[in-house]
Amino acid sequence: MLEKDLIQARGFKNTVSEDGTVTGFQVRVRLVYYRGIWLSQIRPGSVFVDGEEYKPDQIKWKFGNKVYSVDELSQTGDIMWNLLEPATLFVVKPGGLSMGYHDVKVDYLFSSSYMPPVIDTLISETTTGDHKRKLLLVE
Amino acid sequence: MTNTIKRGVTAYSYNKEFGLTMNLDDIMRDISDTGAKGIEILANSHIPEYPYVSDEWIEKWKRSLNKYGLEPAEYAQWVDSREYAGRELSTQESIDILERDFKLAHKMGFKILRTKLGVIDDTLTPVKNWPDFIKGALELAEEYDVYMCPEIHSPSLLDSKMVWDYCNFIEKEGTDRFGLNVDFSLFQEGKNALVGYDDGFPHPDQEHSPVSDFEQFIKYTIICHAKFMKVDENFREVVIPYNKIMALLRKHNWGGWMISEYEGAKADVPGHTSEQIKRHQIMLKKLLGE
Repeated sequence: MLEKDLIQARGFKNTVSEDGTVTGFQVRVRLVYYRGIWLSQIRPGSVFVDGEEYKPDQIKWKFGNKVYSVDELSQTGDIMWNLLEPATLFVVKPGGLSMGYHDVKVDYLFSSSYMPPVIDTLISETTTGDHKRKLLLVE
Repeated sequence: MTNTIKRGVTAYSYNKEFGLTMNLDDIMRDISDTGAKGIEILANSHIPEYPYVSDEWIEKWKRSLNKYGLEPAEYAQWVDSREYAGRELSTQESIDILERDFKLAHKMGFKILRTKLGVIDDTLTPVKNWPDFIKGALELAEEYDVYMCPEIHSPSLLDSKMVWDYCNFIEKEGTDRFGLNVDFSLFQEGKNALVGYDDGFPHPDQEHSPVSDFEQFIKYTIICHAKFMKVDENFREVVIPYNKIMALLRKHNWGGWMISEYEGAKADVPGHTSEQIKRHQIMLKKLLGE
């Protein structure tokens, strides 16, 4: 099941490469909206942890079994972000995050073609913009 | 012969609970409890493998319809014209998207599609090439036996250029494969404060259409979204004049699906939407003399 918050506590942990090196961390986010959207509709934002910013080009998004860079997302118009499946964000940070509590903030928007172009992302600003949650990391 | 108005419910109504406290099976059970026979689903929301759907899932869907005694009433689809940043979809891309949905809707047993178009301005004028790609999809709609219906929804007004453009298109092409989905938000009379919205979102208080404007568009109307914001304990919608709407539809012997769509407050409170849907269905039963 989904957690109600956009930022999911489940899945928050450091990422480790095959040779055992801690390469960064991952956090899962759900699509807070009434319908799924094409990956190209996502307007990816930054991830902030304890005030430190990780920009979109340091972040990869996983849907299903496939991992996308933000450039790849913008070109993928036939794969849908399903409402029931949170995306996993992989953030590059050598050494990862320390054990303990972290203030996590995630920003992403998306376009809605049936809204006037000048407020293309307005719906998403009210639902998915600027989300914060305190998460506990073990390792 | 009297045409029949059939009761349905859109799964959209439950969107604030979907995935949190209800799955599609729960939604279908909830709808069947009301005696409504039709279900609307949103392709993007309720089909887990959309748009590449396995035959196994289609079989599962058919078993669920059978289990809950529901008919596929309406399939909501989008032509997301601004799907890619910085450009609009071409006419051919739009036709391909429509065709992909026609095939899937047909497999799932749907005939009526709520076809949502992208818009280009504040008054929700649809993209300029809509007549080209809708015309280009008419034969395909015939082939897959589906009907495309743009939803006419507040803040649009019914008696407006956009709606007349749709009706003139229907006349010019001589087609019945394109028609209107009339959403009753158009006819809201009472203030939003009556339904418990205080921030004016998503339906700010604004000009609405009088029910009498509906008369000239009934012949173009394939399906109705029985939008509601709040049904009280006496089974009366507090801001939308259902008595007038229903009287007009009966006068013109309109038949088709009437799909309950809850868009009121507290939709995230578990069970609230279910209760509102039940109240609304009781109201419809009374109005229909069932």
